[in-house]
Amino acid sequence: MSEKPTVEEYLKNIEERMFRAYRCVDCGMVIAPPSGTCYGCGSSKMDWTNVSGNGKLISFTVIHIAPDEFSEEAPYYVAIVDLEEGTRISARLLGFDPLKPEEVKLGIPLKLDYEKGKSGKTYLAFKPA
Amino acid sequence: MPLKNTNIVSAAQTKFGALEGVTLREMFSEAVDKATIDAGIPKKDIQAAFIGSFIPEMLIHQGHTAPLLVDFAGLKGIPATRHEAACASGATALRAAVMAIESGMYDTVLVAGVEKMTSVSTSGATEALAAAADDQFESSIGLTFPGVFGIAAVAHMQKYGTTEEDMALVAVKAHKNASTNPLAQFQKEITLEKALTPRYIAWPLKLFDCSPISDGAAALVLTSNDKAKKYTDLPVKIIGSGQASASMNLCNRSDLTSFSASVEASRAAYNMAGLEAKDMDFGVVHDCFTIAEIIATEDIGFFKPGEGAKAVRDGVTALDGDRPINPMGGLKAVGHPVGATGTKQAVVAYRELIGDAGPNQVAKHDTAIVHNFGGTGASCVVTIMRRGDA
Repeated sequence: MSEKPTVEEYLKNIEERMFRAYRCVDCGMVIAPPSGTCYGCGSSKMDWTNVSGNGKLISFTVIHIAPDEFSEEAPYYVAIVDLEEGTRISARLLGFDPLKPEEVKLGIPLKLDYEKGKSGKTYLAFKPA
Repeated sequence: MPLKNTNIVSAAQTKFGALEGVTLREMFSEAVDKATIDAGIPKKDIQAAFIGSFIPEMLIHQGHTAPLLVDFAGLKGIPATRHEAACASGATALRAAVMAIESGMYDTVLVAGVEKMTSVSTSGATEALAAAADDQFESSIGLTFPGVFGIAAVAHMQKYGTTEEDMALVAVKAHKNASTNPLAQFQKEITLEKALTPRYIAWPLKLFDCSPISDGAAALVLTSNDKAKKYTDLPVKIIGSGQASASMNLCNRSDLTSFSASVEASRAAYNMAGLEAKDMDFGVVHDCFTIAEIIATEDIGFFKPGEGAKAVRDGVTALDGDRPINPMGGLKAVGHPVGATGTKQAVVAYRELIGDAGPNQVAKHDTAIVHNFGGTGASCVVTIMRRGDA
């Protein structure tokens, strides 16, 4: 894993269900989604890293009115997830009824997954661990 | 050091709403005429124009709008530049104009904001608005603008116990204030029950938590101390200005219950003015969603984090409350033509400060704060204003 990471490759990895994060070569901070510079030390030297896929639910919403591209999928969850490695990502949330959001508790443990949307795209997703 | 040389000497807006049959250039021209000719300011005195507009390329298929607009409005040949920061476009135009006057480059300039949004379908407008979010990392998984604020609402509810009813009360207040504002898109009061109608847009946000899609324009004339007397006996001075940026995607933020750009821009503006939140008589804040108003009043320091909802419940932010917020009805009820909003907010503050707000007049009106933020909160501009004789 020594090639210089790119945004294009990051998105392709998700499409291929092979999620990888950036890792700062200088201080080791794990970064996703991609950033041109490290939030920790300011370095712009990045490498790829695999992640455990373990995360925690920080917040979420249920999209009822969606853009045309996603309208057939609505209602669906979008969540903010803290990865065990210390970075946060936005992803779909699976395993809950979108009409019963009251049942979703913040802080619950989640596991990395993927969802093939009706739009044909593969989304980064999480499900209850 | 407080800004010393910038005065607002006139301010006006068109009606906001679905302005059928009125084009971008026509609404711009109407706002300019109201702020110049109708205010006794000859157009030939205007030396430059600073114009906020978000995305006319997608909404009306027109780029390079600034020269087109000033030419149509009879401001021939002057330097004209468009400023874009999503929903904060209008305030970034204002800030550029302030810098132009404070630098001594110009004496008298026009600030305007304009957007024509009902020219496309609702889904077309939603798509255009989504361009202000992070396309590759968030919009691409189906996160929408209401969704961004839905996520903020869930975080705020969890951390502070804010409720859907608290948010609905913001909408009730906005509609009440707008009911006496003839320039508002919605001029009818709504009940709490109606505001809570469970038509979810992005849970927990419902239809009445969201500002509408609107057309409209607003304009201000700014001038230096030497020239201000020529136009009015009662100018409003701009004494502080702050701007900040933040990560565009939500996942790069450590706190979802506050917008860091709002905190930083407001502190910078207070510092410049040499004032604090307690010195503000009222606030005009960016209530694109009801939760956004609650968070904004905390971020600008009117209330402690987590106490914004209580202030709404207790009527503190009502027109006749101790700290009125959005006394003319806010984006929620007056409308939100994206690029016009920041300029319109300054128009509201100006009218309140000089005592020209009619039935929407706040009791204490010496000093005000105007908070305009862009997109997901990735841009924020805060302006502090004080009536010239205060």
